[in-house]
Amino acid sequence: MPKALIIDDSSTVRSIISKMLTSWGIASIQACNGQEALQKLSTECDIQLALVDWNMPIMNGLEFVKQVRQESSFKEMRIIMVTTETEMHQVVSALEAGVDEYIMKPFTEEIFKEKLNMVGVIG
Amino acid sequence: MSELDETIKEFLVESLENLEQLDRELLALESDPTKIETINTIFRIVHTVKGTCGFFDFRKLEKVSHVGENLLDSLRSQKIAVTEVIITTLLRLSDTLRELLANIEESGCEGDGDYSELVGLLTSLNEQKITLTSEAISINSKSEGSVDESSVVLLKTQVSEEGQDDELQRMFYAAQSEWQNASSLEAPGAAAVPESSQIGAAENQAPSTVADGSESPKVSESKKSELSESSLRVDVNLLDKLMNLVGELVLARNQILQFTKSQNDGEFASTSQRLNLITSELQEGVMRTRMQPISTVWNKLPRIVRDIAHSCGKKVVLEMQGKETELDKTIIEAIKDPLTHVIRNSVDHGIESPEKRLAAGKGAEGVLVMRAFHEGGQVVIEISDDGAGLNTERIRAKALEKGLITSDKAASMGEAEVNRLIFLPGFSTAEQITNISGRGVGMDVVRSNIERIGGAVDVASNPGKGAKFTIKIPLTLAIIPALIVTTNNNRYAIPQVNLLELVRIEGAQLKQSIERIQGSDFYRLRGKILPLVYLDEQLGLSAANSTKSGGGILNLVVVRADNHQFGLVVDAIHDTEEIVVKPLGRLLKGISAFAGATIMGDGQVALILDIVGMARKAQIAKKEAAAKHEESRSNDEGKTSERKKMFVFELGTNKRAAVPLDQVYRLEEFPVQALESAGDHIVVQYRDGILPLVDLRGIYGEPPEISEGSLRAFVHLSGDRFVGFVVERILDIVEQCVNVERPYPKQGLVGSAVIQDKVTDLLDLSAILQLAELSPKHSFDAREAR
Amino acid sequence: MEAAANQITQQPVLAKHYVTFRAGELFFGIDVLQVQEIIRHQSMTPVPLAPAAVKGLINLRGQIIAALDLRSILGAESGISDERTMNVVVRADDETISLLVDSIGDVIQVDERDFENVPETIAPHIRCILHGVFKLKNELMLVLNSGACMERE
Repeated sequence: MPKALIIDDSSTVRSIISKMLTSWGIASIQACNGQEALQKLSTECDIQLALVDWNMPIMNGLEFVKQVRQESSFKEMRIIMVTTETEMHQVVSALEAGVDEYIMKPFTEEIFKEKLNMVGVIG
Repeated sequence: MSELDETIKEFLVESLENLEQLDRELLALESDPTKIETINTIFRIVHTVKGTCGFFDFRKLEKVSHVGENLLDSLRSQKIAVTEVIITTLLRLSDTLRELLANIEESGCEGDGDYSELVGLLTSLNEQKITLTSEAISINSKSEGSVDESSVVLLKTQVSEEGQDDELQRMFYAAQSEWQNASSLEAPGAAAVPESSQIGAAENQAPSTVADGSESPKVSESKKSELSESSLRVDVNLLDKLMNLVGELVLARNQILQFTKSQNDGEFASTSQRLNLITSELQEGVMRTRMQPISTVWNKLPRIVRDIAHSCGKKVVLEMQGKETELDKTIIEAIKDPLTHVIRNSVDHGIESPEKRLAAGKGAEGVLVMRAFHEGGQVVIEISDDGAGLNTERIRAKALEKGLITSDKAASMGEAEVNRLIFLPGFSTAEQITNISGRGVGMDVVRSNIERIGGAVDVASNPGKGAKFTIKIPLTLAIIPALIVTTNNNRYAIPQVNLLELVRIEGAQLKQSIERIQGSDFYRLRGKILPLVYLDEQLGLSAANSTKSGGGILNLVVVRADNHQFGLVVDAIHDTEEIVVKPLGRLLKGISAFAGATIMGDGQVALILDIVGMARKAQIAKKEAAAKHEESRSNDEGKTSERKKMFVFELGTNKRAAVPLDQVYRLEEFPVQALESAGDHIVVQYRDGILPLVDLRGIYGEPPEISEGSLRAFVHLSGDRFVGFVVERILDIVEQCVNVERPYPKQGLVGSAVIQDKVTDLLDLSAILQLAELSPKHSFDAREAR
Repeated sequence: MEAAANQITQQPVLAKHYVTFRAGELFFGIDVLQVQEIIRHQSMTPVPLAPAAVKGLINLRGQIIAALDLRSILGAESGISDERTMNVVVRADDETISLLVDSIGDVIQVDERDFENVPETIAPHIRCILHGVFKLKNELMLVLNSGACMERE
């Protein structure tokens, strides 16, 4: 069963994203920073998608993406950067680091679905 | 509850937690404005709030946090330096966010508040290289964003180093136009950063964020994420329900245990024992879920301390020790106000202004230390300050002035006792109530709030060095230990917190030890006179055992309510038990004699006595006063024939005299050489002061010449002054019944009595002092002494 | 329905089903939804200083409830509290009390057209604990206002 990894230090945001995914039949697990996310990746299998917040304590989104993209085992995992207006200027470095798409908070279900489509998670 | 409601609720909880952290970080930033880590954390918090609230269409929240985030972004990229004004404004931002969240919690929407002024201010702070003083801010706030030219000129400004004169002028006009735009919600392009430098800057920024991130203490942060994994958010109502159920289980267990006593079935006994163990563990476990660390209350305090200190112009640093000390949540609510009040009092009245402190050789910043720990089944909270301490003499004078104590009492009270007078109702008055210290709440309300939950508060003071308030409270309110008593065949529970001791009086002792004064019974317990309250009488029940008629046994429970003690007479005294306190319904709540009800082991209901309510109703205070009055009155009239301790001395050959021992402060011997004169009095230097001497041998005529050797005297405290009384010879201290007779009225004498089988004059020291013109109302000018 | 609304300040929605009982020769009914349970005579702990009508406190499965003697509220001599006395446990406004009554009747269904205001013939001290009356075939059923009972002096 395909799973998504939601990485954000706000539990509310994780909850919102998780509910949206559930309504489309996608299971999800959560992590509150990059380091925890890496831990989850090593223990969970079949994670097809990661939604990564940018500004988090301990290990932020960029660091996480860089580390993940170094591992060939996660080559297939799609990564969507969840960003805000303030961080728009970082989108370029994000893309360079290996992010597949980005989505800006706050987003509606429609936009989210569209992005998922774009990365091929929802057929 | 709809999904959206649930998510909003989650948002509120998370955001409120974040705001608490925000306040802490802002205060930390205030003490160390250069710490980048702190700025980054603050940025992230506001950033998160902004990012999340967008999902809910909370426009005002979004707007306010957005401009805050921009300002913080400039701070973290060091385009702007941290200033006092910025911190104060960010604290305002925190308050505003809190206000909006509260509105959302209450009504589901953000409310009608207009936050354009704050938005404008945050924007201006972000865009100016000039930092503004607080004067500027207040002018701005008055005119709601539309500032006219004249007020611009009035502003005081501090120019940062890079500014030069023309630069300054240019910025002035730039500032003026910005402020004129500030009233609109659309704050001028706050986020617009020149594109060219953007990406490069971003690249430099990102790694530094990471670097900072990894530098920060990983331990506490990772603990936080571990905690978020191993803990759950639980609805408080659910915990209450659990607690109730466990309470019921405890009672059912008690009933089963009662059954086992009457059964001989071994298996039944061992099964019920197992039930007993499990129930106890469950009870303990559930009670611990309700325990919260005191930090829940304390977290708000640094902010409060800062605000008060600022308003009084004082500098105070708050230290908290023992934040993890746990309390039952029922208590946490109850101590919030008292704690806040004690702190307000310390900052406002205890800690001196920075100037005064420096003059006294202390640091300009006052230190307030709060310490919490568990001890002997209670939680102890100490609040110490290094301020001026309590002004004991002023307290004494004030209490006297307000008629709270008699002049005798005032004279004989020790320092510690006088300091405790601040807890008396009626002590604090309008003059003492500053805007800061609250709505006219005095220390007496602090004490009654704490005592209402079964706790106690005390104060210790070190003049010039500081004061310490100690608050002790029980670990939980729902289950309390209580003494079970019976009257008229019904059981009643007396909370152990009110209990002092148990006394059983029988037979002949009965008649001797019970006195009747002005229609009420009193019992003399180790010399202290205790009003008696008959429980059956108080409850309007007919006395089954009339002990007043003299026969039988009296069972006395000595209890304490506020500052008063009394003896409660009951038919029988049983064991102490742990009982579950249940409230009485609306119909019975008003009965002052009862604090609640409980279910005993046998399933029967028993009422819990409200000792404080009972004391009030039985007018204990009045009775105590009447008894004391009576005592002193009969002493004066010489009618008393009780045992007293007397200090006996000789004033000449065969001229014996005595005074009550409690009037003697010390015995001294003064060499003749030490005598000096001041005005009309002979004096001697004594303990950093001057002691006037009255020669008692002069009562019967001229005192003998003082030539050689030394004078024997006893020192007496009159008012706040010491006086020495010279005698010929000190004889003895005796305790006996003193029957005062008045063979001849003579000034200075109370009368005579037979002491140690010899006729002895009883002296009236206050009258003698009057005659010698040394009574408290005579001024004794010590400067006259040579 | 309007009649009821005019008479009483609060506007009780009249129920269709009532638990009936007798106390001091009067016949009462309480909205069946307000009646938590009916139990036999329970041992009570007297509450000194309580209003005369409060006969004591009962332990109902761990809940402590005040027991009100309806008969003494009515001014009838306090009925004998013996094995035959029944307790009607009533819940209103978040409070639970038990009413001591002489005997329990059936649960009946009423017709709202039979509702009337409390007749003038009923004494004032009884009137204040009633919502109104229903004229039944044989007698008058007094609709008890439980909330009012809980407020009584």
